[in-house]
Formats: sequence, structure tokens, C-alpha cells
Amino acid sequence: MNLRENWRVVLLLVFVVGSGIMLLVPGAPPGTAGGSGPTNLQYGIQLDGGTQLQAPPVGITAEEVNVSADNEAALASNVSDALSVDPIDVRVSADSSTVEVFVGNVSQERLRSVLEAAGYQPSTVRDGVTQQTRQEIVDVVSDKLTQSALDSGSVSTIRSTSGQTFVSITAPDRDLGELQSLLDERGVVRVYAFYPADNGTYVRQQVLEQGDFARISPAENQQGQPVVPVTIRETVAEQYQQDMVEYGFGQQTVCNYDREEPQSSRGRCLLATLNGEVVFSGGVEQGLAELYASGEFAKSPTFQMQTRNMSEARELEISLRAGRLPAPLNFEESRSTQLEPALAQQFKLNSLVVGIMAVFAVSGMVYLRYRNPRVALPMIVTALSEVLILLGFVAAVQYPLNLSHIAGFIAVIGTGVDDLIIIADEILQQGEVATGRVFQNRFRKAFWVIGAAAATTILAMSPLTVLGLGDLSGFAIVTIVGVLVGVLVTRPAYGDILRNLVLRQEQREK
Amino acid sequence: MVEFEVPEIDYDQYSNRQLAVVPLVVLLVAIAVLAGSWMLTGSPVALGIEFTGGSQLTVESSMSTAEIGSTFSPEPVSIQGVGGEPNQYVLTFEPGSGSVTSLVDQAEGAGMTVLGSGETPATFGQESQRIALIGLAIAFVGMSLLAFALFRTFVPSMAIVISAFSDIMIPLAVLSLLRVKLSLGTVAALLMLIGYSVDSDILLNNHILRRRGDFYESTYAAMRTGVSMTLTSIAAMTVMAVMASFFNITLMAQIGFVLVLGLSVDLMNTYMLNLSLLRWYKLDGVSQ
Repeated sequence: MNLRENWRVVLLLVFVVGSGIMLLVPGAPPGTAGGSGPTNLQYGIQLDGGTQLQAPPVGITAEEVNVSADNEAALASNVSDALSVDPIDVRVSADSSTVEVFVGNVSQERLRSVLEAAGYQPSTVRDGVTQQTRQEIVDVVSDKLTQSALDSGSVSTIRSTSGQTFVSITAPDRDLGELQSLLDERGVVRVYAFYPADNGTYVRQQVLEQGDFARISPAENQQGQPVVPVTIRETVAEQYQQDMVEYGFGQQTVCNYDREEPQSSRGRCLLATLNGEVVFSGGVEQGLAELYASGEFAKSPTFQMQTRNMSEARELEISLRAGRLPAPLNFEESRSTQLEPALAQQFKLNSLVVGIMAVFAVSGMVYLRYRNPRVALPMIVTALSEVLILLGFVAAVQYPLNLSHIAGFIAVIGTGVDDLIIIADEILQQGEVATGRVFQNRFRKAFWVIGAAAATTILAMSPLTVLGLGDLSGFAIVTIVGVLVGVLVTRPAYGDILRNLVLRQEQREK
Repeated sequence: MVEFEVPEIDYDQYSNRQLAVVPLVVLLVAIAVLAGSWMLTGSPVALGIEFTGGSQLTVESSMSTAEIGSTFSPEPVSIQGVGGEPNQYVLTFEPGSGSVTSLVDQAEGAGMTVLGSGETPATFGQESQRIALIGLAIAFVGMSLLAFALFRTFVPSMAIVISAFSDIMIPLAVLSLLRVKLSLGTVAALLMLIGYSVDSDILLNNHILRRRGDFYESTYAAMRTGVSMTLTSIAAMTVMAVMASFFNITLMAQIGFVLVLGLSVDLMNTYMLNLSLLRWYKLDGVSQ
């Protein structure tokens, strides 16, 4: 056997071995740690369970508002006052010349007239938010997911053909309700001093807001106590320190905050709220109180927020760190899918069985047709190697497998074997394949048909890869890659294998 | 042992007209079915939740279907048992039945175990309808252009286009008659069908037009290969359709079912319609 003559077979072997490595060696695909499961395959929610949610961000955007960087803040407060919306729901950007309002009930006309009253001439006011805001939503959501889950899932934006953009979130280990409430948390965090006034009633004074935090460290256990260490900005540290002393935190305080009846609380508390709800309450320990009193705190403005358990600490950390979604997501207009892991596992096993049975069916047909294991066996092996290469590809790009992809694999086995039949029939037609040249000639003829058929399949499938029809893009990509692998690698190799078998047999018979 | 050999058909017995009339009549009937359904229901085929919008729950419960239905407000439009799992049901709700989270709450409140849920807003559904139509149209036009580019003559190229068209229309009509709801899976299968159906047509055209030799010899050579191909694919897809419906993997069952239908129709279209057009073109002197 001559290596140069059989380079197509060698190429197929290289692909098969490469795919095997991608599929089976832990950590082989770039960017993976390896470890979980026997293969490097990623499974989508249909095969692993979990939730997928696609929702558009709420908001309208005015474009080409020529606001200077200096006037950003003034215009923002002007707009929020005129529309009577919360200041955090208005974003003015001089860079992109846009004004966004992230509230559902403000009409495009209202925003336009408010801007015109302020002396600006927006070119268009449209539904939706800016690219920058969308990217921030994606970042914040993926932050929220990674910090709250073992299996982090994924976030991306998808654009429909009508121009609307959706944020698409896949969370493998939570149900829809949990996911929505995680996203709903807009994470407006404020810190209050809570103390009894002179007349004995408790008062609440804001001492910090979200923007005052310079750094939020990960939740950790310190001597068995879950804490979230935070650092506040130096610019506000002095004022914060003065406030704390003024409200009586210059000495150790004990906090016994009553969430139901705040007025029946005891002690002095520092409260952190998320969306107005108290998520943290605690006194000030001796050491920290001394720092406030002496004025040392402002030099290194770091303190720790203690919680009762680790999961509370993580939630607090997410609220403080990930901040809020720049714009809320519209769940009314969302598309969602949720599947219990148990049912998904069932699908995983069953679809594997379906795939194997389909391979048996194809093999049986091929054997009945040729009755010659020399022809049929390589055909089946070649078709299987095509599926292996595809699995390797899917593992290498870490594409999450769903049911539609398994259907795609079966379709690939179908088209693959079709083409091998064309090659075999062409080469084995009446008349001996006496020489390499005859073989080449016949192979080329067969290949014309295969190439033409492959081109039509690719053409037919290509719209699905770009049109946003959910799962079907995966099906189309698997089919197209499968057809390409087939035409470029496996089918030429099958031709070589067949030539070796046929020529050797004929030589023996002479 | 079973012999699997493609029979040699004596095409000489039949005129072109006789050969072409069967597939054409079937195609016309299919179009009539689709048109009739369009007039009666406003859509040529019944549309699934992915195209109309709505919500779907998969639940496990020992209650009867009637009890399950009355648990919800509004009640589901359909309750389907899951094959092989006596206590599992798929419930479908119309768009506007409230958010899927509230439906899940209602189900759990009544003691059902929710195994899965899905929701498509009506706007999303209409968008998907549009995209699916665009996708099919692009694929079909692209395939037609490619056919013309490959053979560069009108009749043989047209033969490919007509039989691909018929391969799509006839399964669609069957789906319409059986009131099977069109889903993303069926759309994928229809697109696959364009690819599969053209294979055997190209093979036949190629053998007859681009090779020397007697018309009937070429035809038989092409048939031997083409029929084996299509039968192999039908075998794979039958297994997929049967096994997947047994396991209740709807998406794979639908893809399998549509492809089995389409590939069977393709046998008729390729070796009756396409062949008669080619024979007319080749032997009756249209090409001279």
C-alpha cells in the first residue's frame, strides 16, 4: 500500500483520530477545562434539561441627539423629570448621540416632544435599545448566571429578520420562574443607617448608593462566617465616615432588625436594600467602629457585610456586583422552553438508540444490495466515520447538542450512504477496473453527481443557518458541515479504499 | 434470504403521456387539497404552536384528562397523552392564556408535576411563519437556479424543478389531510427533501444526458443506483420516524415522517414524471 497513492485514506484517518481526541480527551477542545462526563460534548436543554428564554429588552431610543458630554447629566435629569420616570431608567450618551428610556409606558412621541422641548432634534425615535445597552445586558446577565450557578449557561443576543433584537439566555440548572426572578432583580442597592432618633422612633438615613462602591469582593467564609467584603470610593469615604459617627456608629453596635415591624427593632443597624427590600442588616463591630471614630476608615475604606449563610452572601454579592440590568427584559413577549433534567436524560438515551437503529437499517439495506462485504463493510465504516468526525467538530466548537442535531446526524448518514452507493455503482459497473486510469475516470464521473447533489443540499440548508428559526440553525449547520466533510474527506477516501479492494481482487483472480 | 435487486421496468410499454399523467394528477390533487384547506381554515396546513404562538406544558399526573383540563383557566385547547408513559400529558394553550409561569403555578397548585414547559408569543409565531416561508422560497429558488446552471437546457432542468416541487407539495397535502400541525421539524424536513429529491433527479439526468449509450440502458443504470439510494434513505428515515414516535421525541418523529413520505413520492416523480420528460426531450427530437 502506497501512502502517496492513498493520501485520501490517510487524510480520513487524520480526521478520525483528530475527532476522537476532540471528543474523548478531557480538555482537548480549546477553552474547556475537561472533567464532566465521558465525552467533551456539550448538551443543550433538550438533552440535559434546563431553561431557555428569549426576550426583548424594554425601552425606546432616540437617535442622533447631538448632546455634548458636558450636558449628558443635565439632559438625563431633564428627561426623567419631564417623563416622571426614575433617573436610572434614562440613559443619555454623547458618544452614540442617543437617549434611551427603559420604561414600557413611554411613547415614542412623548420622548420626541420632551427632547424637542429641551432643544434637541432626534432624527428617529424607535423601539428597542442601543447596541451598547444590549451588550451590557448580556454582560450583567452572564455575570448573574456565573455567580449563582454551578453550570453557568450562556447568554447572547439574537436578531430577528424584522429587526427586533432578543436577549437569549440558556440556564441549564434552573426553572423558568427562578430564571425570571434572577433577571427581574434590577439590583438597585442602597445602604442605610437605621437608628433610634432622640424621641425613640427609628429613622432611616441613606449613607451609600450603588455607585459609591469601588469594589465588591467575592463572598467568602471568614472563620465560619459568610461575608462579602466591599470597598467604597475614596471620594465618598470621608462623608460616609462622618455620617456613621453622626448616627451613632462610632462605637460597637448590636443590631436586631425586625423586618416585619422595623419600629420594634432594637439596636443600631446598617441596612442594605435591593429594590427597596432589605437584604442585609447588621451592627458595626468594635474594630470597625473605632476606625470610624478615629477617622482612619477613610484611608482604607473597606468593610465586610456579614450574612447568615453562604447562599445569602452570594445573593448579596450578586446584587452589589452585577448591579442591575441596564434595561429590564419584556417577559410578556418572550419565548421560553423548559425541560426537566429527568425527561431530558430520557431523550438523550432514546435519541441515541434511534440513531444506532438508523445505522443498522442503513447497513442492512447496503448489505442486501451488494451482498459483498468487501463493498458494503467499508461503506458502513466510512459513513460511521463521517458521524464521528461530525461529533468531533461539535465537541471542538463546544456547540450544545439538541434533538435537532441528532436528526441532522441521521440525515447525514442517509445522504452519506447515498453518495457512497453512487461511487460504488459507478466503479463496479460492468467491465473491469483494470487500470488506475479507468478507476480515476469513473470516480470523477461519480463525483460530478455527488458534488452537484451536495451543492443543492448546502444551498437548501443555508437559509436556515442565518434565519432565526430557533433550533433549526443547529440542524442546518450539522447537515452542511456533514455534507462538506463527506464531499471533501470521507467520500474520496471511500473511493481509494474501494480501488484497493477491487484492484487487489482482480489481480488475485488473474 | 431476501434479494434486493432493482427490477428492470419495461418503459417501452408506456407512452410519455401515460407515464407523466399519474404523478401530475397526484400533484394536482395535492394542490387542490392544500387550496381547499386554505379556503376552509385560512391556512393550507394546520400550524403548530411554534407558528401560531401559545404555551405548552408537559405534566405528570394521575388525574383523568378531563380533570386535568378543568384545573386550568383558561382550559387547554388540547391534551395529549404521551406514548409509553401512562401518566404524562402534553397540554397546549392558546396564545393569550396568561404567562407560562402562571400556568406552571396552576399545574403545580393542582398537584401535577411539571416536566417541561414552553411558550411562544403570537408575534414570535407570525415572525417564524414568515421566516419559514422565506427559507423555503430561497432554498427552492436556489435549487432551481443550480439545476439550470448544471444542465443548461430547459426541459431537463425544468424536470428537476417540477419533481422537487411535487416532492414538497404532496407530503404537505398529506400533513394537511391528517391535520398534523406544521412545526419547525417539518419545515426542516421539507428543506432536507429539496436536497434529497434532487439527488436522484441529477443522477438520472446525468446518466441520460451526459453519457453515451442507449436511453434505456442509461436509465436502468441510473435507476439501479438511484432506487437503492432512495430505499436506503427511506429505511433510515422509517426507523427514525417509528422509533422516535415510540419514544415520543416529536421533532425527530416529524422529520422522519415527512422524509419517508417525500422520498416515496420522489420515487414516483423521478421515474415517471422526470423520466417521461427526459424521454420526450431525448427521443422525440425536442433536442434537435
